[in-house]
Amino acid sequence: MPERTKKNSVGKASKIVRKYIIKRVLTSIFTLLVILLVLFILMQLMPGSPFNDEKLNDSQRATLYAKYGLDQPVIVQFGRYVKNMLTGDFGVSYNISKNTPISQLLKTRLPISIKIGGAAVAMGALVGLILGLLAALKHDTWVDTICTIISVIGVSVPSYVFALLLSYQFGFRLKIFPMLFDAKRMLASSFLPSVSLSMFTMASIARFTRSEMLEVLDSDYMLLAESKGISGSSLIFRHALRNALIPIITVLAPLIVDLMTGSLVVEKIFAIPGVGSLLVNAIQSNDYNVVISLAFIYSAMYIGIMLVVDILYGVIDPRIRLAKEG
Amino acid sequence: MGKTKTAAATYTPQQPYTPVDSDFVLKHNEGEIAIDTNFASQSFWKDVTTRFFHKKSAVAGLFIVLFLILMAIIGPHVSGYDYSSQNLANKNLAPRIQGIENLGILDGSETMSTTTGTKKTNAYAEKKLYDTFYWFGSDRYGRDIWTRTWTGTRVSLIIAVAATFIDMVIGLSYGLVSGYFGGKTDIIMQRILEVMNGIPRLVIVTLLLLILKPGMLTIIFALMLTEWVGMSRIARAEMLKLKEQEFVLASKTLGAHSFHIIFAEILPNIIGPVITQVMFSIPTAIFTEAFLSFVGLGIPVPQCSLGSLISDGYNSFTTHPYQIVAPIVVMALLMLSFNLIADGLREALDPKMKEM
Repeated sequence: MPERTKKNSVGKASKIVRKYIIKRVLTSIFTLLVILLVLFILMQLMPGSPFNDEKLNDSQRATLYAKYGLDQPVIVQFGRYVKNMLTGDFGVSYNISKNTPISQLLKTRLPISIKIGGAAVAMGALVGLILGLLAALKHDTWVDTICTIISVIGVSVPSYVFALLLSYQFGFRLKIFPMLFDAKRMLASSFLPSVSLSMFTMASIARFTRSEMLEVLDSDYMLLAESKGISGSSLIFRHALRNALIPIITVLAPLIVDLMTGSLVVEKIFAIPGVGSLLVNAIQSNDYNVVISLAFIYSAMYIGIMLVVDILYGVIDPRIRLAKEG
Repeated sequence: MGKTKTAAATYTPQQPYTPVDSDFVLKHNEGEIAIDTNFASQSFWKDVTTRFFHKKSAVAGLFIVLFLILMAIIGPHVSGYDYSSQNLANKNLAPRIQGIENLGILDGSETMSTTTGTKKTNAYAEKKLYDTFYWFGSDRYGRDIWTRTWTGTRVSLIIAVAATFIDMVIGLSYGLVSGYFGGKTDIIMQRILEVMNGIPRLVIVTLLLLILKPGMLTIIFALMLTEWVGMSRIARAEMLKLKEQEFVLASKTLGAHSFHIIFAEILPNIIGPVITQVMFSIPTAIFTEAFLSFVGLGIPVPQCSLGSLISDGYNSFTTHPYQIVAPIVVMALLMLSFNLIADGLREALDPKMKEM
């Protein structure tokens, strides 16, 4: 009998998980469609059509409209737009590099941004975890105070301020690292941007790890583990940290998004040929097509990350899923 | 088990005890008994204030914010310069302050690095400007950075007020209404929120600025579209906790209107988390403005904000680093102190809540 009830509840649980995942996927798709709709409307509102040439007469214009499908009902146009965006056909750039397909611009820039962003997340998460862990284990000592000060500063000071300070001190004065990005010295010149981007992630993770660890260390199961004679690193890493890590996954998602915002300015400061600096350039030179394509890419990445994190979290910790349901 | 058995076996019932009169005499220990006056009941707010002022970092944050507000009010008027008037003859002058210059610092000299090495120059002496003082230096158009910094601080503080207002009005009402009515209303409102939350703030702000003219109103409008989500989540969660409680039922039974229950009965009970959330949203708003100005979408020239000052200083920060120092320091202080206050308030308002 007990076996049977267990089986039932497991079946029920996996059913809830499946329902939860389906719901999240559908919401994400819907959100993406809403974004595409907004972008599509914006494209229609933008001043300056590509066919504003004075030399064109009406019939030529009509031919062009027919060629690009602009004479069809809006809904058909929107359908084609969605298809194009999803298959990576973003159209061409108007101002930045005339008539270059945007997908080609992205091909070289996206990997650089992802590399630097990824390095920042990895570095921030690792250092933040260590700082938070130290602060929690040495609670209420000078170690804790220092870790807290570092994390408060990291949360409060914007990443581009760090970027400016670092590039001034280590790039301009000490000349340890290159001040501007250099594709030939990829590793050395990505160090400063990654560090300045990782500060916020590091600080947030440190704060979160500290509070989670303090709570876990105070729990009954830690007391039990301790009284069973488990000690030292096994106690901290296998029993405490593993439980504290679960909620940390959730803060990572918004942090990655903050990183995207930060990368815009940091890439500009270090002259990194990445997506962020492309967006800044596009905004400043009114290259609508590029801005809108990048807006779509950022949104798609954001939605994707949120979806993965939510599903991961729901699978790992059933309590969250149930709380969200109710 | 065994122990209790042996204990039961050795137990022998004694004679029942008969109380005597001496058992009922007063002990006369009035000296030991005292009415507890130390823990007289305190009002919630008194408690909160005590806890808040016991946290040194929070008090420091409060003082810094008050100082910055004061400087934003009087700062632009004391140096004798206007924030927008240009004086190209006095461009790129290093900081120089009366009195302190005799100590050898902030005397208007700056170290220039050239190809042949570094050399110390004093532009004031070279241009024979003996009676000219730019406390924070002057920028490449000869504008006073002191005045501009504090004018920019005003912008950031206005943004802070706007963010508070948006949080309180839009976010709070949205969350409270969604949580209180529940059912279909809640489902629809939460789906809208999920979609809004699914769009990165960066994208919303960028797109908005493509169609609208850059300026203060546009920035506030952009914040309005993005800032309320966090607050509405908290308000909804708190509402769900409270709405089944007896005092709400009592109010309903007395015939109170939903509007009255939401804003007069429940709102005062959730004010703690609400204030904390507001304080945390202020640094985010300030950061958003500074970020937009840095990218070139912020306050239009000749007006300035901390973000646009940092952006200006960035263009010449290897040759004249002092131009970027003042706005960066003020900005960092502003963000830091609001964060410290928010931390302190959270602990003061809800000591049981875990830190995060």
